[in-house]
Amino acid sequence: MISKDEIRHLGWLSRLELTDSELDRYATQIDEIISYFDKLDNVSLTGSDPARSIKKVSELRNDNIHVFEGDPLEFSKNRKDGFVKGPRMV
Amino acid sequence: MPNHLYRLTADQVASGIKNRDFSAQEYISQILERIEKIDLKINAFVAVDKQGAAEKARSIDKRIHDGEHTGGLAGVALGIKDNICTKGLKTTCASKMLEGYVPPYDATVIKKLKENDAIIVGKLNLDEFAMGSTTEYSKYGPTRNPWNINYVAGGSSGGSAASVAALECAMSLGSDTGGSVRCPASFCSVVGLKPTYGCVSRSGLISYSNSLEQIGPVGKTVSDVVMLMNAIAGTDENDQTTRTTAIETIPNTMSLDRIPKYRLHQNNRNIRVGLVKELVEGADPAVSKCIYSAVDLFSRSDCKCEDTSMKSIEYALASYYTIAMAEASSNLARYDNIRYGFDSNPEEYEWNTYFAKVRNNFGEEVKRRIIIGSYVLSAGYYGKYYLKAQKAREMIKQEVKSLFEKYDVLIAPTMPILPFKFGEKIDDPLKMYQIDIDTVVANLAGIPAISIPVGFSDCLPVGLQIMANEMEEQTLFDVASSFESIVDIHKSPEI
Repeated sequence: MISKDEIRHLGWLSRLELTDSELDRYATQIDEIISYFDKLDNVSLTGSDPARSIKKVSELRNDNIHVFEGDPLEFSKNRKDGFVKGPRMV
Repeated sequence: MPNHLYRLTADQVASGIKNRDFSAQEYISQILERIEKIDLKINAFVAVDKQGAAEKARSIDKRIHDGEHTGGLAGVALGIKDNICTKGLKTTCASKMLEGYVPPYDATVIKKLKENDAIIVGKLNLDEFAMGSTTEYSKYGPTRNPWNINYVAGGSSGGSAASVAALECAMSLGSDTGGSVRCPASFCSVVGLKPTYGCVSRSGLISYSNSLEQIGPVGKTVSDVVMLMNAIAGTDENDQTTRTTAIETIPNTMSLDRIPKYRLHQNNRNIRVGLVKELVEGADPAVSKCIYSAVDLFSRSDCKCEDTSMKSIEYALASYYTIAMAEASSNLARYDNIRYGFDSNPEEYEWNTYFAKVRNNFGEEVKRRIIIGSYVLSAGYYGKYYLKAQKAREMIKQEVKSLFEKYDVLIAPTMPILPFKFGEKIDDPLKMYQIDIDTVVANLAGIPAISIPVGFSDCLPVGLQIMANEMEEQTLFDVASSFESIVDIHKSPEI
């Protein structure tokens, strides 16, 4: 059973400030969904390796820099002196 | 000038404009009028670019008048799902978190459409960040089904399918992560394709689940979908998962009217068709009845049809949602409302508090998926869920591969149920996920799958799904277009 506290913790790890009613609702719904995922318990861990279809680094293109034409932050709302304003660090 | 130009297929529009039967401006003005008149009821568009569309139409007419070359889609009105970046045109993913975001670049598919002189008339509605099966999870409100506006249009590319069905544009682009092009195509009685993974560039598609999603075309006919695939398919240095295909060995593919990559053969002779019995037997009887009628038609057109079984399907949905949510939680970590997003002053807050506060503006379903994604990736549960889901995915891939040694195509319902009324499943997320059971296999296995209209039950559309082996889009098109010519199901709803 997934508890409300676990949902709150997952919310914090995901940087989501959840309300009390959200915590109640998500705890019930997510518990039901995760219980459905439990059918994966029957899948064997032996057999083909899922990583085998992943491209090797040598197959990737060279990591060359291309200068972006235009201003990628043209539409940013919180700009000041060429910087983007963010929250304070502490 | 005919006054129903908006009813034409993309194919008819392209040749009509090229042959000067009517101008691009005449056509586009009818399309824009149609959107203005109909979209209040359908809510397929989240933004309409009237000025840009009119200017493009004027420029195409001028070039045709001056005898200059125009692209293969010259003048054809297209709608674009609002999770595909369009330079200078807002792209919001139907989310408050991307409110007002104007991309400084075009997605690769948009560049290709522009090279082919297609006219982008606007951006289309979707479930927030493409997470959903009904388009009810949109910040702009749900898209309504043109066949009955009290019913859902399907999702997440609800706007892409409804706009084409409601004759608001000739074709559209959607994206398909677990059925998001095929589901609404089925519910709205249009044709929708999920291409092979890697066949179409994802550069500029706002990521939800990278290993599963593909941009896919929607059209009124198979022929139109082929036409659109010819414009958008191909490798792209900006997307390392795109794959080189035999079709790209043809030189000078810049213009599709010169050298088409895919064609319509309409030859079904000796095609081996496997009917996936788990998916037909699990469907609503009204849906399976339509699918069995389709099997009869296939058999009568010299196809060899037989029942087949896909045992690993039992794990498909759990595997799909585990992987999709894990990737979603990682992809959506980037949204911090700093560089773009809604109006909010970050200066008063500490870093983490600000992020947690603003990120609560994600919608209900997006937050649910982020939390579940974090759960299945967390240290204690990674092996139990994520790793097992990847193993199940590999098992499904292997079984699908072996089935294509016996069959050229696999068929099944696109959706196990008929379109349903608004609000019917929205309070039960697991029930909502379960309607994706027929479509997720193609995404897990990376194979192409197309949904084509197969009939109606109680005046609600039913779609047939045809799947082929990876990179076998041509086989899909051959079978689908042959089937389409036999059933002749296309008709438009009265709105």
